[in-house]
Amino acid sequence: MKLLTPDMLDQFFATIAQTWELRLPILLPDGTRVIGSPDDGPLALHGGAVLSKPTAAFFPQQGTVFTADNGDLQEPPPPERPLFVLGFTPRDLACLRFIDRFFADGLCDDIYFRQRRGAIVAGLSGYCGPNGALLPPAGGDCDLELFWEGSFWLVIPYSEAGRGIVAELPSAPRSAGKLLKEASSRPPDENESLIQRASDLLRADRVPDSFWEEIGDRCIACTGCNLACPTCTCFGVQDWRSAKKVERSRMWDSCQLDGFMREAGGHNPLGSEALRTRRRIHHKLAADPQKWGEISCFVCGRCDAVCPTGIGIFAVAREMVARFG
Amino acid sequence: MRGMKRTLTVCPYCGTGCTFYLVSDNGRLVGLEPSTTHPVSRGGLCVKGWNAFAFVHHPDRLTTPLIRRDGVLQPASWDEALDLVVEKLRDIQKRHGADAVMFASSAKATNEENYLLMKLARAVFGTNNIDHCARLCHSSTVTGLAETLGSGAMTNSISCFDQADAILVIGSNTTEQHPLIGSRILNAVRNGTRLIVADNRRIRLARHADLHLRHKNGSDVALLNGIMHVIIAEGLEDRTFIATRTENFAALAEAVADWSPERTAAATGLEAGEIIAAARLFAAAERGMIVYSMGITQHSHGVDNVRCVAALALLTGNVGRPGTGVNPLRGQNNVQGGCDMGALPDVYSGYQKVSDPLMREKFVGSWGVADLPASPGLPLTRAMDAASAGHLQAMFIMGENPMLSDPDQGHARNVLENLELLVVQDIFLTETAALADIVLPAACYAEKEGTFTNTERRVQRLRKAVEPPGEARADWEIICDLAERAGYGGMRYAGPGEVMEEIARLTPSYGGISYDRLDPHGLQWPCPDRDHPGTPVLHLERFTRGLGRFSPVVHRLPAELPDDRYPLVLTTGRSYFHWHTGTMTRRTHLLEREEPCSFIELHPDDAARIGVRNRDQLLVTSRRGEVRTEARVTTMVIPGVVFMPFHFVEGAANALTNNVLDPESSIPEFKVCAVRVEKLP
Repeated sequence: MKLLTPDMLDQFFATIAQTWELRLPILLPDGTRVIGSPDDGPLALHGGAVLSKPTAAFFPQQGTVFTADNGDLQEPPPPERPLFVLGFTPRDLACLRFIDRFFADGLCDDIYFRQRRGAIVAGLSGYCGPNGALLPPAGGDCDLELFWEGSFWLVIPYSEAGRGIVAELPSAPRSAGKLLKEASSRPPDENESLIQRASDLLRADRVPDSFWEEIGDRCIACTGCNLACPTCTCFGVQDWRSAKKVERSRMWDSCQLDGFMREAGGHNPLGSEALRTRRRIHHKLAADPQKWGEISCFVCGRCDAVCPTGIGIFAVAREMVARFG
Repeated sequence: MRGMKRTLTVCPYCGTGCTFYLVSDNGRLVGLEPSTTHPVSRGGLCVKGWNAFAFVHHPDRLTTPLIRRDGVLQPASWDEALDLVVEKLRDIQKRHGADAVMFASSAKATNEENYLLMKLARAVFGTNNIDHCARLCHSSTVTGLAETLGSGAMTNSISCFDQADAILVIGSNTTEQHPLIGSRILNAVRNGTRLIVADNRRIRLARHADLHLRHKNGSDVALLNGIMHVIIAEGLEDRTFIATRTENFAALAEAVADWSPERTAAATGLEAGEIIAAARLFAAAERGMIVYSMGITQHSHGVDNVRCVAALALLTGNVGRPGTGVNPLRGQNNVQGGCDMGALPDVYSGYQKVSDPLMREKFVGSWGVADLPASPGLPLTRAMDAASAGHLQAMFIMGENPMLSDPDQGHARNVLENLELLVVQDIFLTETAALADIVLPAACYAEKEGTFTNTERRVQRLRKAVEPPGEARADWEIICDLAERAGYGGMRYAGPGEVMEEIARLTPSYGGISYDRLDPHGLQWPCPDRDHPGTPVLHLERFTRGLGRFSPVVHRLPAELPDDRYPLVLTTGRSYFHWHTGTMTRRTHLLEREEPCSFIELHPDDAARIGVRNRDQLLVTSRRGEVRTEARVTTMVIPGVVFMPFHFVEGAANALTNNVLDPESSIPEFKVCAVRVEKLP
């Protein structure tokens, strides 16, 4: 385990930038925090998860699939330099692990892995959450993790690449191990148990259709819940045609849209807001556990933060548990 | 532009004014991220906002000027195209007079661009013939509220929606057309705010309302008079407010005295009890807010509707406090700014009248011209008639698509095709641009700098994220170049920031606006000087005009009512997923997939009578024209009324609408005309 003091950060990242393209938590001019290019704003490691999903580094909102120019088919090239992405909270890392599995399953998604392979993923934890709240250490799921102790960062490498990056840093004090262990033993998270209870209710078929009608009535179909969710992987595909060129691209899609499931003949198995809202929650809390062995909501809270009408997954789960639990 | 970059900017769709960061990678947009700190959007966006980057690099973008040669639009150089525009405009003006030319500005363009086109029309080409699509949406508001309150803008702020005890939404489908405001209303209702929705479509807000009033199309004056009758009859009016802050109350009381609940019920199709309940509910609120939009304004009596809305707020003392107010929701991202900048035939920026010699003197001096025209120019909606009567030979249209947005499409096409000169400056070859003699390719919102003013009068910075395609240029650059070529040296600016400095010097309400003050969340006008913090709520101590004025009105019926030949009322509007004529949204995959074709909503009773099922192909006919469209059988509409959005060129609602205008605001009656619906074999 290594140690980084705040005054060492600039040099640390400058060294990394010689090999990798940096994506770091930064503060944008209006106070929004994102994981972005350090050219766009000062480093902002404190404050917890950023609102935009960190997995966008590998799966951007829109990206080229191929271009066919006068019959010449070209796929987009891999990045000139691999990415170094810092800013995944432990929950975000769980999301990334989940979509890594998803995109690798069956026909491997080469567009995703073109960005993902060779990238360094760095977690962020410790007492750097909102207002200094503790983010328990991830203990894995990444190449290295930065843990804010209160006055310095503990740096824990997990992969070969991670160990290489931190090799030159000074060693952490002996007490660090105990500190990390203490931070790991935490009381159960309220939202986590809420999501688990909601999942149980759905799987026991205890939630009536009328509930989904009520929730659906409050959905304005902004699609923000899907677009902010780090484990949402659905995408749409479009072709842009000009005289001799076709450009195929894909973009984040949303199961809250009618067109998401509408068939060519017009029939839609998810033809109402109630059904679509039910599906969105059901997919994360009931279908994915069956297919992937785990609930695919890792309690990051982004859908609740972006939803203009207060029907993110926590809010819905809370109502569900209060009424049917 | 190498590498990844984030650019803070303003959404180009509705007037709510949400902000987000455009994310670009090596000069191409790859997505966007909401601003988490913005006081309006608060980390959220609507579906159009989330997809607002997606049309920018579309291969249909115009990349070079086009000149019609041998009947075909052919690529040309900027020098050729701009010189030709100036030469032809000058020639037409020489032969037919300065007012033979009309300029259409754009509520999609920035404040600076609207100001500059206004200046170009007046200072360089010597005509007040300048207008923009505010004529089609809130001209009734500008007229009606100026008369009653003194300022034709939303009185309150978007944050006020969280503070109201009761909200009356009349003629606004807020969750679809101003989604981040509509969502505030939904949240307010969950927190205990009472909601009255007056709109005969069963819009989303209606599902959450305490009262849903499904009154007949065009009966708003009757409804509001009836509500005011009950309030006065039951002594629920705010007498202190009326006595200290208003004038002409006696005339209002007399005008509504006859509007008993029974008479109102007969005129509106409602139950008397509904009118009484609405009056009591609204009058009982400590903070009562009225929200309205096109359902109020787009009538041949749109100004009268607005007068009634203002009167109801005055009667109940609901102006000049947080959580209250008369709140017209402006449609376009910068329609408020387009009006503020004087892209209107009768005023300079800041609503300073062209007919006022002192104002003319001020602008003559500042712009360095010999004189300026004194009589108001043509409103956009009257320009079409003027052209067909031979009084107008040329139109210069920046970023508007009247072929789809104007009423009576056949008439509009006929006029545009027969102009001696049609110049269109736009980002795509719209249906209107396709008819042009000269087409000028413009940069879109993501490719230029400037400011937009949202519906709550918040002036915000727009920033350039990527380069425009090909040779396309920002509207402001094109306008300044035209001025230069026309021999006018007074439009040389280093950038839009310098244009804003000039605007601030000449426009009292924008006096304190400058780019260095607009970060991060803009300023709300009136902002008269550099130390002024901006104004979230208007009319606090006194109205802009002094006292609030009750302007009683007489109920008038819409110009065209159903009869045996055309038995249904057609009302038009927009869908959530498309924006106006679809120039941008129909080139955005997810939005176009969601709403891919023209449709008409009709009630199951009407559908059964005509023998129509969902998704049948229909022929809809009015006295102006006919269109094919798809049936959407739904209880969203009431029996006898059908609804069509106007986005679709194939099945254009405005081939049917009635080009009858409000006599004062010249707004067309988009909300009521008579049609016949038949099933196609």
